[in-house]
Amino acid sequence: MDAKYINPFVVAMVNSLETMLNITPERGTPYLKREGQTQGDISAIIGFAGASVTGSVALSLPTPVALKFYSLMMGEKVYRITNDVQDTVGELANIIAGGAKTELSKEGITFNISIPTVVVGPGHTISHRNDVPVMVIPFEIGKHRFVLEVTMKLE
Amino acid sequence: MRILVVDDSTTMRRIISNSLRAVGYEDIVEAGDGQQALETLEGVSMMLTDWNMPNMDGLTLVKTVRANPALAGMPIIMVTSEGARDEVMEALAAGVNDYIVKPFTKDVLAEKVKGMLK
Repeated sequence: MDAKYINPFVVAMVNSLETMLNITPERGTPYLKREGQTQGDISAIIGFAGASVTGSVALSLPTPVALKFYSLMMGEKVYRITNDVQDTVGELANIIAGGAKTELSKEGITFNISIPTVVVGPGHTISHRNDVPVMVIPFEIGKHRFVLEVTMKLE
Repeated sequence: MRILVVDDSTTMRRIISNSLRAVGYEDIVEAGDGQQALETLEGVSMMLTDWNMPNMDGLTLVKTVRANPALAGMPIIMVTSEGARDEVMEALAAGVNDYIVKPFTKDVLAEKVKGMLK
């Protein structure tokens, strides 16, 4: 997958966290996802489809990162993944997907995005379309790592 | 002055509502989708709505509200992650008065609302 299609998701991720949470994550080197590879304890997945493109994006967080994001966004602490934390992670994924959509539209790539689906549980796996590679973009906040997974197929 | 906040995300509804209360707007009602919003419009002076929502999306909500002559003049701000030019134009054509793209800062939101309610 061409980097120019991945960068809008990276930029949207950083912009979302800086604007809504006032934090800047460290970005790692993207890599291809191996089959069945697990990432975080909570994931929000958004599909997208347009006339010339289909794909999906997933924000996958370990529990400490999800709780930190919630406390920064809402101004209150929680100690486990509640329904409110799930909603927050889903909304962040929605904002990231929307931001990437806006940038990609400037390249003539237009699509609609789905409402986020949130999955919770240690060791869960995320299945995207299985006929195109999935790029994993790692980020770090403090000592914690989290990822954005992106897959996109241009028709 | 009652403000209606429409978003399927409880997180976003709370952020918006808390931002408005912080600048003195106390009478805030919330709805989780466009259909709920239509049932919550009584006494509302202004509406902020998301675009992508289940049951009835924000664009359909705006068109429905604007089709009611009694609500034709109500200020509406769309608050959405949909920031592409075509979407902004479509929302404006449907009747929104202003447009805020997520992510946003609470200050920007408050200023837009204050400016519209002057």
